[in-house]
Amino acid sequence: MKNRIPIIEGLFTWPSEDPHLIAGRCKTCHTIFFPKFCQQHKPDCHPKTVEEIQLSKKGKLASFTIMHLSPPPLFKLPPSQIPYAVGVIELPEGLKVVGLLTGCKWEDLKMHMDVEIVIEKLYEDEQGNEALTWKLKPI
Amino acid sequence: MREVAVIGVGLTPWGKFPERSYLDLGVEATTKALDDAGAKWSDVQVMATAIYLWGSLLGTVAGQGLANAMGETGIPITNIYNMCATATSAFRSAYQSVASGECDMALAVGLDKSPKGFYVYPGFEDKEDIDFIRWKMTGLVNPGYWALECRQRMDGYGTTERHLALAKVAVSKHGALNPMARYQKLFTEEEVLNSPMVVDPLRLYMICATSDGAAAVVLCSLEKAKQYTNKPIVVAATTIASSLYGDGTLRLPTISTPAKATAPYLSESAESSRIAYEKAGIGPEDVSVLELPDNSSWHYLSYLEILKFCRPGEADRIVETGVSKVGKTVVCPSGGCSSLGEAQSAQGLAMICELVWQLRGQAGARQVKNAKVGLAQTYGMYGNSGAVILKV
Repeated sequence: MKNRIPIIEGLFTWPSEDPHLIAGRCKTCHTIFFPKFCQQHKPDCHPKTVEEIQLSKKGKLASFTIMHLSPPPLFKLPPSQIPYAVGVIELPEGLKVVGLLTGCKWEDLKMHMDVEIVIEKLYEDEQGNEALTWKLKPI
Repeated sequence: MREVAVIGVGLTPWGKFPERSYLDLGVEATTKALDDAGAKWSDVQVMATAIYLWGSLLGTVAGQGLANAMGETGIPITNIYNMCATATSAFRSAYQSVASGECDMALAVGLDKSPKGFYVYPGFEDKEDIDFIRWKMTGLVNPGYWALECRQRMDGYGTTERHLALAKVAVSKHGALNPMARYQKLFTEEEVLNSPMVVDPLRLYMICATSDGAAAVVLCSLEKAKQYTNKPIVVAATTIASSLYGDGTLRLPTISTPAKATAPYLSESAESSRIAYEKAGIGPEDVSVLELPDNSSWHYLSYLEILKFCRPGEADRIVETGVSKVGKTVVCPSGGCSSLGEAQSAQGLAMICELVWQLRGQAGARQVKNAKVGLAQTYGMYGNSGAVILKV
């Protein structure tokens, strides 16, 4: 069994049978932000009063783009997956989140379609581990 | 605060110059600006310089490098970086030195050489840095943000691919006349629509290139300006604004945004222009020449609306006319980022150079008749935007 490891820890619950993105919420103004340290508050809320929450997984596709290019080396996308698509999911909490799109043909993408957040492999590292990120998948 | 005027401007050609250093470009722009003003380097009492982000540590003190090359005079030098508003911030800093009475003459310089490919800052690996996270986890490149906003615009307003092409075509008519532009070429609608798809829905010719270039501006108190020129260009406003809470724009390079916006779209740009209009006591209807940040066709359309030259969604109708003009305002007379390419740390000052030439009547083949008021507005990566209003 291959190890499945988040590319960056702390952005989604892991290991988990039912992983969720981890966001922050201001205890005073209740603004939700992702990732949790990328704080957003109404002016004068105290930046320390943040609680951790898990974001819901299903929402609507608020926008998308198909990128016909080789990404910079920091993004280790297998070249066979170019062109790749990135979308924005609008969640019921009132937050939009960017994510790589997966699980459909790019020509089938439509604005406002139902999508869900899934945790999937982006690439296999040198040790043969699956390196994971979150993606948006049409339902 | 006293009145301040621009008395000299200098610009290098915009393009790719692998054989030239950023300081070499900076020296050219500075020398041209001083010659234009009829001033000497030793007359400059304060300098604000954009930093050169893509070099060694010394790039962050580009102003000292420049002073070294020009001859050190011991003046206060501040090195500034403020994303797209970098050059405008240098201008504002130089303006404040003169307006406050700290000095009579100040120089603002922007100089930049763009890295190859996408802007990725080398050698950082901070797991709480949002820029690092977006690269590692989402692969969303900078023009991808513009594409995401553009598709929302198409969905909301019915903007078509043709509108996106027409924006490029209209601006290229000006760029074709600008000897300093990198692309002195008239683009056709067909050429733009047949250019390779890059970040769907934006094609190659709908996105500006990254360039090398430098620009310099000499500012002087209005009182003293009369010793140098009989046509001082007055600074009516110079503003910088940052974002407001509740802005629904997907701000580069973040990866989340409020679903329901409670603040204006591109709030940093909306605010910097709103405050500039207010300070100058003028409105969009008074502007003869407008340099807006047309980093992509989406920017061109959006900024006409944000700067209140038309209502949201109406910019599509303006590009349908085939000319880069709204009412009596000529838009991007220089050819904009689309013809020059973007040299981020110098762009705002290059825009100011164009306004000054237009207001003096020195813009050659692209001269706008009877230009009296100019507005230069920058884009707002990570919530930083600047506006400058100049008048005769």
